[in-house]
Amino acid sequence: MIYKIAGLRIEIKNEYAYTDRFCAKYLSDDQTSPPDIVATASKDEIDEERAGAPQFSDGYLENICLYRSMCLQMPQFDRMLLHAAVLEYEGKAYAFLGRSGTGKSTHTGLWLKYLDSAKIVNGDKPILSIGEKDVIAYGTPWMGKEGRGENTQAPLMGLCFLQQAKENSIRRLTPTETAAKLFLQILLPTEAVAAEKTLELADKLIQNVPAWLLCCDISDEAVRCSFESMTGQSFAQKRNGEE
Amino acid sequence: MKIKNGFVVRRVADQCVVVPVGEMSKKFRGMINLNATGEFLWSFYTKEHTLEEGVAALTAEYDVAEDVARADVERFIKTLTENGFAD
Repeated sequence: MIYKIAGLRIEIKNEYAYTDRFCAKYLSDDQTSPPDIVATASKDEIDEERAGAPQFSDGYLENICLYRSMCLQMPQFDRMLLHAAVLEYEGKAYAFLGRSGTGKSTHTGLWLKYLDSAKIVNGDKPILSIGEKDVIAYGTPWMGKEGRGENTQAPLMGLCFLQQAKENSIRRLTPTETAAKLFLQILLPTEAVAAEKTLELADKLIQNVPAWLLCCDISDEAVRCSFESMTGQSFAQKRNGEE
Repeated sequence: MKIKNGFVVRRVADQCVVVPVGEMSKKFRGMINLNATGEFLWSFYTKEHTLEEGVAALTAEYDVAEDVARADVERFIKTLTENGFAD
């Protein structure tokens, strides 16, 4: 079946029905024009995934391999995978990054709690389209175990790296600091052309999108910190009445 | 020394980054950040050159004393050889 994901036509060659259900909301109306990308998963790849995660079904494991297959082909289309939770607020996207368990879900959940028009674009693995000056963040079917996200897109206006702390503070990161942190959250292909392209895209991303380090707890003050710095708006004025 | 094939070198955010690809990525998982000297020497040693040639090239390019240059090039060669990046 052919899907429309991240602005591209993706043909997914799955054997298990799991992926049909998983990607249903992204099915393309046009099943005849040629795809941009064909995503496949070999038996060997599925076996390798199973070795690391034997408790999952073959359909689930195939699904992971298919996303990887797709994402490894994204760089040639000026796109790449990012491990981040991406929010949209008033038509603009903001990405929150950090290792699993750092608090991306918690922090983005707080934005949803205090800001009525905030919504999640992709809670775990969005795809970014990186142009000369602009970056767009896309929802995809792969949204993390909480399944938060939509089939939507928005221009990316900030990258916010999270760190748990007793007090809330935020500062801009230099390009060098950003690169070091960003490389931990992208998929770097091992094929030379795709690897080179990914480095080029990472460079453009860093040059064009401001990055922040947010040290935060789980209070509304944490939201005020990230919200005011990244949107430039007043949290007191925009927040709802939630305590 | 000559650096093996199997690396992609690119500037990202004003810093030189080296990434293993293909067969090399199976042996070495990680990324290398090079400072200005490292970037210069990496480029130089993608072709076969001796230690002395590296010292001469470095002192010609930068305003640095020969013994400092020699120490830098020796350390560079040692690090790459120890990590299996050199032919």
